[in-house]
Amino acid sequence: MADHAVAHAVHDPNIGNTGLDNRKMGMWAFLGSDCMFFGSLIGTYLAYKGKSISGPLPHDVFDIPLTSYSAALLLASSLTMVLALAALQQSRVKAAGGWLFVTAMLGLHFVLNQVYEFTTFVLHHGLKLSTSLFGSSFFVLTGFHGAHVTGGVIWLLILVSLAMRGQLDARDYTKVEITGLYWHFVDIVWVAIFTVIYLIP
Amino acid sequence: MADPQATAAAHATEGGHATVRTYINVAIALAVITAVEVASLYIPGIPSGLLVSSLLLMSAVKFFLVVGFFMHLRYDHPILRALFVGPLIIAILIILAVMALFSAFVLLPRVVL
Amino acid sequence: MATQAAFMPGTKVETLTFWGTVASWLTTVDHKRIGILYGTSAFIFFLVGGIEALIMRLQLARPDNTLVGAERFNELFTMHGTTMIFLAVMPLSAAFFNYMIPLLIGARDVAFPRLNALSYWIFLSGALLLNSSWLFGMAPDGGWFGYANLTTTQFSPRHTIDFWMLGLQILGISSMLAGFNFLVTIINMRAPGMTLMRMPVFVWMSFVTQFLLVLAFPAITVALILLMFDRFFGTLFYAPAAGGDPLLWQHLFWIFGHPEVYILILPAMGIVSEVLPTFARKPLFGAPVVIYSGIMIGFFGFGVWSHHMFSVGMGPVADAAFSVSTMLIAVPTGVKILNWIGTLWGGSIRFRTPLYFALGFIAMFTMGGLSGVMHASPPVDLQQTDSYFVVAHFHYVLFGGSIFGLFGGIYYWWPKISGKMLDERLGLWHFWLMLLGFNMTFFPQHYLGLIGMPRRIYTYAGDLGWNFWNMVSTIGAFLIAVSLLFFIANVFRSLRSGAVAGNDPWDARTLEWSIPSPPPVYNFARVPQVQDRDDFWLAKHGDGHGGAPRPKAAPVTAAEIAAIHMPPTSYWPIVLAIALTVMVSGLLISTYQIIIGGLATLVLMYKFAMELHRPASGHGH
Repeated sequence: MADHAVAHAVHDPNIGNTGLDNRKMGMWAFLGSDCMFFGSLIGTYLAYKGKSISGPLPHDVFDIPLTSYSAALLLASSLTMVLALAALQQSRVKAAGGWLFVTAMLGLHFVLNQVYEFTTFVLHHGLKLSTSLFGSSFFVLTGFHGAHVTGGVIWLLILVSLAMRGQLDARDYTKVEITGLYWHFVDIVWVAIFTVIYLIP
Repeated sequence: MADPQATAAAHATEGGHATVRTYINVAIALAVITAVEVASLYIPGIPSGLLVSSLLLMSAVKFFLVVGFFMHLRYDHPILRALFVGPLIIAILIILAVMALFSAFVLLPRVVL
Repeated sequence: MATQAAFMPGTKVETLTFWGTVASWLTTVDHKRIGILYGTSAFIFFLVGGIEALIMRLQLARPDNTLVGAERFNELFTMHGTTMIFLAVMPLSAAFFNYMIPLLIGARDVAFPRLNALSYWIFLSGALLLNSSWLFGMAPDGGWFGYANLTTTQFSPRHTIDFWMLGLQILGISSMLAGFNFLVTIINMRAPGMTLMRMPVFVWMSFVTQFLLVLAFPAITVALILLMFDRFFGTLFYAPAAGGDPLLWQHLFWIFGHPEVYILILPAMGIVSEVLPTFARKPLFGAPVVIYSGIMIGFFGFGVWSHHMFSVGMGPVADAAFSVSTMLIAVPTGVKILNWIGTLWGGSIRFRTPLYFALGFIAMFTMGGLSGVMHASPPVDLQQTDSYFVVAHFHYVLFGGSIFGLFGGIYYWWPKISGKMLDERLGLWHFWLMLLGFNMTFFPQHYLGLIGMPRRIYTYAGDLGWNFWNMVSTIGAFLIAVSLLFFIANVFRSLRSGAVAGNDPWDARTLEWSIPSPPPVYNFARVPQVQDRDDFWLAKHGDGHGGAPRPKAAPVTAAEIAAIHMPPTSYWPIVLAIALTVMVSGLLISTYQIIIGGLATLVLMYKFAMELHRPASGHGH
């Protein structure tokens, strides 16, 4: 295994003695760290759940159909992401670029839904960051998740632009793979948030 | 409450690489589970404990389907699993500890925390 | 330390101009240079933190003193703590991670050289932002632990807390980036044959430390984000009037804070685990057990945090749970101490300065550990908490432990880094004066705490019986300062006219001693093939059971060296670090600065990422 890895390293400086790419390993380490980040935010939300002394209650304001639709969007975008990666592996760069674009658009749709949701909360329900513990913890938790999604959308669109300019091909499999890992992580954080914040009474 | 389609998808690709077919099966499973989750909110008279535990269970299944198949962790080097699952466990334990410390649930009913 | 011209192996070495040299340091991606940058910066901030301490000790030397007032004193203890933890001990450890880890695992570089440089420049930016607060009369004054809701705008309306909050966020980013880098480096860049259990114990302790860094910092990041939102956007996280709980801050902070103290001590423990075997000419006693103990300390360190909160009223169940977990965590630590003693036992001891500091570590850290175990009992801690007993405890473990251990590392690895030896006599003057001064400063504080002297007070009445030992403590502090003068003199003397070190002045055990001092930019001309733990020692001396030393390999050829590719310099790390700091500090200045800094950060992140994508030269991937 070690000799094979050494031979690999001669060709690709990113492959280490485990046979794995440094960047892929680094992304998984980052995602582990991000679990602690979102864990702290979710813990804060749950610690303060039911303790607001005024302001609208969660289930007065939540639009479950809209949020379920958003959840479906992100889950679908995870599918389109793996399809993009599969296409790239087969050197079908245009198909890969297309699926990456669809993924980005689904993510963008999610973010726009969230903007709509936040606006409705503020304007129609009088729920702001400063209204109550619920307002504070809800907007900060889901806002940071939304920021993660937005960052992912920008990253995906950069890859699309590279693909369109002929600067992305099967050699960049690992780069697109780690983009996918980040994207799927953002999806599973939403799975957790959707259940724990929106669904559980 | 294992979804039959998820199980079928899991067995279809023992070791090696997942196929596009697998990915689509997983996506269908995720959609179905999500639909069941949302629908269960509207079941009249469902006991709160049953609702919460089944929602958590279904979410966990979705979580592991995405991590295992879309993120490929099922087929990957164990070290990557360790890099993610270890921190995940620590994060979950800390969430539970913080919840207990803030009395989000009652740990020992007879004892004042 | 010899200034190395940045050059590619096999090309002509050019002598750089002064500005060329400066530019080469600003754009370096060489882990050894980055290590030197971290070490130099850390030492300077250690002196800054030391001066802050001396001023406090002068103020407390006599009762009813008027050297500094209460507000200034608050700033001093806040900045002393923050500086020593984040700007001195952590970057000193980082200096050793950077310089030594690739050498110890037989690698030519770290996994992400440019990310590594970025970590350093972000660290420096955060350190400068934090300390710039002194110049604006806005030095943080809420304690290094920044308890809410003292830190909310209601009770801290000035920008002092914001400097602290934003400085720490920036420093946190630096630490996490470095953590990811070294995690991947240690897992994935080891020389062939170096299995995890054959890695030197310093690498193992650093490995655990990287996990702690990437898993603990997110908690304080969230705590600080919640504080930032409370201070700038009107959220209610720490607002009791709205149902918010100040204890949320304490929990999130200590979920970070307790693993943080293991981040501070584990690298020093790793250094001790390298120094003792070298100067006892014996392998580390029970190395696997020491490694497993380190792993256990790291993991269970996440389960003890509320022992910092025994006096806040969490209730008997929480108090008991954290008390038990805290007592349990003393066990693996004790195991390590026994193993270190076992290493010395029956060894052929050579007393040199690095060993003195390692022995000092063992003695002082043990004392600090004993007072720590006392804190583990909630009823006992109720008297000790917020008293000088705690101050004594943590200085014994952080100064007597971490600082002594880190100085041991400096004296041990100085020959490798600079190519010169430090003077033994000056080193021993440093050690003995520091040991004496340290104990004079902090041992009496146990007593002061037990007779009731609280922490964080700027003065005290003269009839409480505290006068004498406060004066003794202050004299001790100045002795520490004098000892450092011997160290600084030693450094300058060594650089100017120190004895040439050669590859292996200590007849040591690990791979870094098999290459020249200082190492060439590519570290190892030939990638080592590792067969065992302490492989270099076995190659030199045989295994002591009849196995002969290994035959010397054929000399390295110029062609082999020419085939080595090292990454080129890059200016994106320092530029990106500046943009990030401009964006973050914009919160103190204007929204425009946030927007411009933010856009610049995004663009520079893109440029950084794209630097190696389809470049004209052959270096990219």
